[in-house]
Amino acid sequence: MAKRVLSCFVAALLSMTLYAQSVIPNNPGVKPTFAIRNATIYPVTAAPIPNGTIVFSRGVITAVGTNVAVPSDAIVIDGSGLSVYPGLIDAGDKVGLTEISSVAGTVDTTEVGDLNPNARAEIAINPHSNLIPVTRANGITAVLSVPEGGIISGQSALIQLAGWTPAEMVIKSNAGMHIRFPRLRSAPLADQPQEEEAEKELRKTYTKDLDKLRDLFRDAQAYAKAAAAHAHRFNRDTILEALVPVVEGREPAMIEANLARDIRAALEFIDEFKLKAILVGAQDVKPLVPELKRRNIPVILGPILELPPREDDPYDLLFANAAALHEAGIKFAIRSNDDHNARNLPYHAAFCAAFGLPKDEALKAITIYPAQILGVDDRIGSLETGKIANIIVTDGDPLEIVTNVKRVFIGGEDITLQTRHTQLYEKFKARP
Amino acid sequence: MKKIAALTLLIAVSAIAQEHVTVIRNATVLTITNGRIEHGSVVMRGSKIAAVGPDSSISVPAGAAVIDAAGKFVMPGIIDSHSHTAVEGAVNEGSLANTGMVRIADVMTAEEIAAYRQLAGGTTTALILHGSANSIGGQSQIAKWKWGKPVSEWPIKDAPRTIKFALGENPKSANFRPPEGVPRQYPATRMGVEEVIRTSFTDARDYLAKWDEYEAKQKRGEPAIPPRRDLLMETMADILRGRIDVHSHCYRSDEILMLLNVAHDMGFHIKTLQHVLEGYKVAKEIAAAGTGAGTFIDWWGFKAEAYDAIPYNIALMTRSGVLTSVNSDSAELARRLNQDAAKAMKYGGLTADEALKLCTINPAKELGIDTRVGSIEVGKDADVVIWTGDPLSTYSRVETTFIEGEIYFDRSRDLEQRQQLAREKADRLKKEAEETAREKKDTKGRKKNG
Amino acid sequence: MKHGSLAALVCLVLSVPANGDAPGVYAITNGVVHPVSGPEISGGVVVIRVGLIESVGAGVAIPADATTIDAKGGHVYPGLVDAQTSAGFASPAPRPRRGEATTTTTERRESAPAINPTPAFIALESLKLSDDDADDWRRIGVTTIVTAPTTDIFNGQSVVLNLGSGEPAGNAIRSPAAMQISFNPRRRSTFPDSLMGVIAYLRQTFLDAQQHSAALAVYQRNPAGLTRPESSRSLDALAPVMRRDLPIVFLADSEEMIRRAQAIAREFNLRYIISGARQGYRMAGDLRDVPVLVSVKWPAPPATKEDREEQPLRVIRDRQLAPTTPSVLAKSGVSFALVSGAGKAGDYFRGIRKAIDNGLSADEALRATTLVPARIFGVDRQLGTLERGKIANVIISDKPIFAKDAKVMRVLVDGREVRLAEKEEAETAAASPAEGTWNLTVRMPSGSVSIVVTLHVENGRVTGNFSGDRGSGDIRDGTFDDSTLEFTISVKSDAEAGDWTFHGTVRDSNITGNVTTNLGTFEFSGSKSR
Repeated sequence: MAKRVLSCFVAALLSMTLYAQSVIPNNPGVKPTFAIRNATIYPVTAAPIPNGTIVFSRGVITAVGTNVAVPSDAIVIDGSGLSVYPGLIDAGDKVGLTEISSVAGTVDTTEVGDLNPNARAEIAINPHSNLIPVTRANGITAVLSVPEGGIISGQSALIQLAGWTPAEMVIKSNAGMHIRFPRLRSAPLADQPQEEEAEKELRKTYTKDLDKLRDLFRDAQAYAKAAAAHAHRFNRDTILEALVPVVEGREPAMIEANLARDIRAALEFIDEFKLKAILVGAQDVKPLVPELKRRNIPVILGPILELPPREDDPYDLLFANAAALHEAGIKFAIRSNDDHNARNLPYHAAFCAAFGLPKDEALKAITIYPAQILGVDDRIGSLETGKIANIIVTDGDPLEIVTNVKRVFIGGEDITLQTRHTQLYEKFKARP
Repeated sequence: MKKIAALTLLIAVSAIAQEHVTVIRNATVLTITNGRIEHGSVVMRGSKIAAVGPDSSISVPAGAAVIDAAGKFVMPGIIDSHSHTAVEGAVNEGSLANTGMVRIADVMTAEEIAAYRQLAGGTTTALILHGSANSIGGQSQIAKWKWGKPVSEWPIKDAPRTIKFALGENPKSANFRPPEGVPRQYPATRMGVEEVIRTSFTDARDYLAKWDEYEAKQKRGEPAIPPRRDLLMETMADILRGRIDVHSHCYRSDEILMLLNVAHDMGFHIKTLQHVLEGYKVAKEIAAAGTGAGTFIDWWGFKAEAYDAIPYNIALMTRSGVLTSVNSDSAELARRLNQDAAKAMKYGGLTADEALKLCTINPAKELGIDTRVGSIEVGKDADVVIWTGDPLSTYSRVETTFIEGEIYFDRSRDLEQRQQLAREKADRLKKEAEETAREKKDTKGRKKNG
Repeated sequence: MKHGSLAALVCLVLSVPANGDAPGVYAITNGVVHPVSGPEISGGVVVIRVGLIESVGAGVAIPADATTIDAKGGHVYPGLVDAQTSAGFASPAPRPRRGEATTTTTERRESAPAINPTPAFIALESLKLSDDDADDWRRIGVTTIVTAPTTDIFNGQSVVLNLGSGEPAGNAIRSPAAMQISFNPRRRSTFPDSLMGVIAYLRQTFLDAQQHSAALAVYQRNPAGLTRPESSRSLDALAPVMRRDLPIVFLADSEEMIRRAQAIAREFNLRYIISGARQGYRMAGDLRDVPVLVSVKWPAPPATKEDREEQPLRVIRDRQLAPTTPSVLAKSGVSFALVSGAGKAGDYFRGIRKAIDNGLSADEALRATTLVPARIFGVDRQLGTLERGKIANVIISDKPIFAKDAKVMRVLVDGREVRLAEKEEAETAAASPAEGTWNLTVRMPSGSVSIVVTLHVENGRVTGNFSGDRGSGDIRDGTFDDSTLEFTISVKSDAEAGDWTFHGTVRDSNITGNVTTNLGTFEFSGSKSR
């Protein structure tokens, strides 16, 4: 009976707000003291702790270990047979910016034009998107939400997947300036080249795009100098202003380049403007390992579950990149670059583990490594005292599909695992 | 006479004697239809599975190649009931609302690396479908990924004929702008889609009547002009005669019911619903129609009609008695259908056995090829895959893929070939650069002389 | 009108028959005669009378009324036959290839004028071949072509056309020669807009043609009580195809496409010819019963090394093996001709020479451009050899015709000499636009700096040296890819010491771009010195 009432309620909610999240939070805003005991705890930055206890209070982890005193006011969760991990971090996707891909009115990923450094993801994050509960229900508690399109797509925001307003969600705004490095072709030459004239046109566009990017960065450099010199009497320009922290090396340039030729060109660009850079995508990263190592440039790989770009590429090209970076000692993270299925992030990492990456490294690539690369490892990415209580409880290895996520805590709040999907499931399971 | 018979026998015997025998031993064998066998063996003789059972029960025939698969898993080749791989040119003949006369079989190509990559993910067989641009699309083809063989050897020769239907946003061109100067095509609504299908079969009945009339006249010895043999109408007629299986792309529950109704009214059967993302809403009705379902586990929200897609769809349909498979519609996803099957355990609680069936015997049944493929059983095609571990684990990968007893993918062989192919490419490019330089020099020389 | 008179003028200037309009009597002497029908004859004589060959041989008497053409050490051949062209029809709009995005230029390009060929389309009736166009072929010794459009699926009925003067009708050797079919999908949303649609369309059309003939036969036997069949020009035009009287030419390059063509031909018991056949090398055994027109427009590698390296081995392999098709077919005894196909007349010989470089003998190449194509199109009683009674299409070259620098000296078509206008051979390997000496000006805060660089470009790599206001030396790290030029120089003077990297765009004889130095990045511009 109670169930029936609930489904009616759910149905009513569904009809009211089609595109808005209708899951009801467990205890909104409440961040009591929790203690999870008798669980295997994976701090990620330290060895797993069998039969461990983790305590968190008012949103912050207060104790992790075996000999941990459980405060008297703590809500105790028996973690027998369960595992505790830090919430997973997706180092790049579109969660929050899109709802239904083919319905333009629900998509805010891509601004018009080639150069949009002033476009900022956090402006358009919809805290009530149905993608958010779906993503976090699989243990992902933070994502880098990234604008796309053009040459300079805009600036990403690192958000946690709970909150009533964008401001409540943002862990780091302006996390990076996203540059899709100009490419000669949208895909490598797969057949005989097309006619000469079209080829010329292609090259012209490519050169023009490169020039455009360089010109804007040069302007930004000049602008930064001028702004510093005449701080008060100065005509502000939003586009150049947005680039100032990037040309000054304060904000990372997250440069997406995949083919070796494009990565090389991107590296030249990075050198030319002395940028603090993160390479993104990086399908052809292997031959460029020494170059990256020399410059100490971290890499965000992914999506891993994608076809290799060229016919002749090894079938496991994208699966094997992470192992190569690990062996070379280059810092890397793995992203899904997805939206609706960002929830599959752990399986992108698992594929890397199936092809040579140690399993614990695969886990780090979606927890502490993205936190380090994004400069927030003092707050998230591992289970350590003082860090934000983004914690997941599972019945196994979260990189295994058959593992279930049992509990999710974000900022110390007990997060519902309900999603639009579970609601529809419950509703139609009950269909007479 | 006797001599000839004896000779024939001799040839037959020697053919058997020459048949290649491979034995995989000491593996965890996932037979799909008869449970799992720890420390099991699979014997492949020629193109067929000759024996399967615990190691202790299987003797290794003399001359057999033996693979020790200790710690490894063996399962039948994965069957993808929704593929567009290995098609040359467009997968859509998108010009008309009904293009039932076109055939994927005419345009298959062996030069498709995606097929090899799917072998590397354990997929051996697929239904290669026409696209979904029109209410009634083209005739599809069931084939195996016999990479390296001429494309004429890829189709499963005696497999059922199939055709693609499509409902919803795609055939009504909801997300598609016609080229400049081309008017918007009919249909533009789900009402129109229904009408196109219904009318096609009404026309087919008229067409058949015309032929009946002609044949009757001929029988009576009356002069008669043969009617036009219309390939589109012939296709529709063959659907009515039950000679072509219908696999229909669909999303929303209302259009699913619509199609089942039209089929019922017109007297044909829907073999499977493809994608069928809202199948869970009308699972009873689908089960009652005896129609199968091939779906995705993950994809949702990519268009309005996919907004109610849920990963629990497979579980709900399975529990309602619908024969369900998980398929790819994507050359990428087709490399890891085992993992999508595993997701049905996570979302809705299918057992491991049920999950494995989603990408093996269930699609085989849906495609009408389950007497040949989909499980490890004596007499079936030796389409067998060796995995490093449990195929339901994300950490497992494919070691070796057999089709009909032949190796089509092997990881160690693949690693060796990479070097060879890279060398050949380098050599060829070097040779070409030298030739180009020589030609340039010649041209220059000629110009000087001239 | 204006256009017409201009054409007439061109005709007068370029191709005045040597002896007015009437074909005369000629004796070609002193050359090495290659009759193709037999062994070569040193110092042989070819006598031509009123458009036909009167005699060929070593000891042939020279008629008193003959004008003697002294071939003095040259070589005498029957005029060549290029059996697959689209001469006289607008060239088709280029199509994007598999795996290539449609570029804006391709999209913007106007499609070919609206010829909408159907089976009933007669190439001879519509072709527009100016003397200028014809000269492109005659200049290289081709005196006969087979032509039809290539833009649609049924491209109509081709014609074997002599490249003589006057109206096409007077030059047709055989029309219709063949029904030409291409596997071209139509533009999107027009049936058939896919390859599988094209094949279904062909199959349906042939079925319709069969039914049409059958219906007509029944009706004509006794119309009483029967509904009159509709008349159809297209289906009528296909009747000789269905009867195997008229062959089909299928344009098909890849093995799989050739096999698709063969499957259709087998299904309907059609007589057919394969044209294109780039991958004939893979399937010679299955072409033994099929005449093949091998297009010598061989696939070319992409211009840049990066593109070449990114291409699949499959494509590179195919590109390199394609020119072996003629020799492979020759070894397998396949009857084949060498045709220019979609290529330009000027590329025809280069393509033939490449086939020879890849194992075809010059003799086989000669047969494949004379007698064999004539035989394939059923005109070998008129053309293809130097024999008594044949049409007097004769060419004289200074060296063996397929030798690298051979030049065609004289051309006779239908016994009339064609005077060829001298035309500069198109520059085949034009110097790179970056090649040469450039005067560059760099705009620095302190004022302009002049630098002269001399560049040499080879395969995209740029070498050379510089001199000027900031010293001199060699350049390094130079690259050029059609428009973008990059190179670095080392400057040794004072504050500006260090590497200067130039990154510029070349347009004609001008360059603009930026120089990156340790002081910052500055603009530069320059032009090539003449």
